[in-house]
Amino acid sequence: MQAIETVTVGSGGAASIEFMAVGDIPDTYTDLMILVSFRTTRAYVSDDIDIQINGSAANFSHRLLYGDNGSVGSQTNTYGQAALATGNSGTSNTFGNTEIYIPNYRSSVAKSYSAAGVSENNATNAGQHLTAGLWNVTDPITSITVLGKNGTLMQYSTATLYGILAGSDGTTTVT
Amino acid sequence: MPTPTYIPLQTITLGSAASSVTFASIPQTYRDLVLVVIGRSSYTINGDDNIEVRFNSDSGSNYSRVLALGNTNGTDSNAAGSTRAEFGVFPTSASSNTSFGQVIGNIMDYSATDKHKTILARGNSVPNSSVNMNAARWASTLAITSIEVQTARNLQGASADLVVGTTLSLYGIEA
Repeated sequence: MQAIETVTVGSGGAASIEFMAVGDIPDTYTDLMILVSFRTTRAYVSDDIDIQINGSAANFSHRLLYGDNGSVGSQTNTYGQAALATGNSGTSNTFGNTEIYIPNYRSSVAKSYSAAGVSENNATNAGQHLTAGLWNVTDPITSITVLGKNGTLMQYSTATLYGILAGSDGTTTVT
Repeated sequence: MPTPTYIPLQTITLGSAASSVTFASIPQTYRDLVLVVIGRSSYTINGDDNIEVRFNSDSGSNYSRVLALGNTNGTDSNAAGSTRAEFGVFPTSASSNTSFGQVIGNIMDYSATDKHKTILARGNSVPNSSVNMNAARWASTLAITSIEVQTARNLQGASADLVVGTTLSLYGIEA
């Protein structure tokens, strides 16, 4: 696993973080992983994190399983939801954490992704999300944008894009 | 602080359908393992299957798990004992969409000989709009030296191979 790019939001905040805003994501890896630590300006304890691929928010679908302040639920929708950030009503100085895994990002088939994340809050009403997502486009992924769904990313929000290289076919046995 | 790294150990892409895939002779030099399976089950009766594993060829009733699930029927959580460890939900050939699903699982302290082995995993069957996460345990103090991967339907005796193009990757995580 190699860090490709880390972006940290500066003073004044940012609407989103775009990996490889200049150039393309290197095509030398097998899978991609993104680790996110976000806090947004949304006046709530949590906010959703969305992704866009190759500059587009279209052709996404997802199934979400959530636990939120003691309740559980499941829902589906047609945008690129990942998982969770902490909103600006959450405990001061806390940031939500999300992992996004995108396998076979260079393939010529539709891309699936999974995400798991939490909104941190040192009181009630913290949340947890698990998401199965699909970007139904066969193009290779060359750029990824991560953003808060309802609020602007606050200072010190950070996200890192990692490349993961698969191993060679070693002593694997197929039966 | 531990530095998580994905060291590629073995990867295989199926050139023909397989009822199971075994990672053998797993090196004992890492702290944890990560298993990533991307593909589909050939099961045709239901839209969802599951990826399940056995360690060291142990087919005894030495596994247990608790899961949380979200799908078109809502949500569910349950616990059970089993003869294999469940990793995550996986799409089948009955799905309306031909895209692959993915399962990602962490196997903690796999080489330890003084504790049972625990697994945290999540599955993604976007074509059938299902997502789940599992916490599983293998009640053995043996070090894990091999991992056999199959579909749940196959283990139940149905025709449910891993289809052509399915990839399975095993990574070592350094402490």
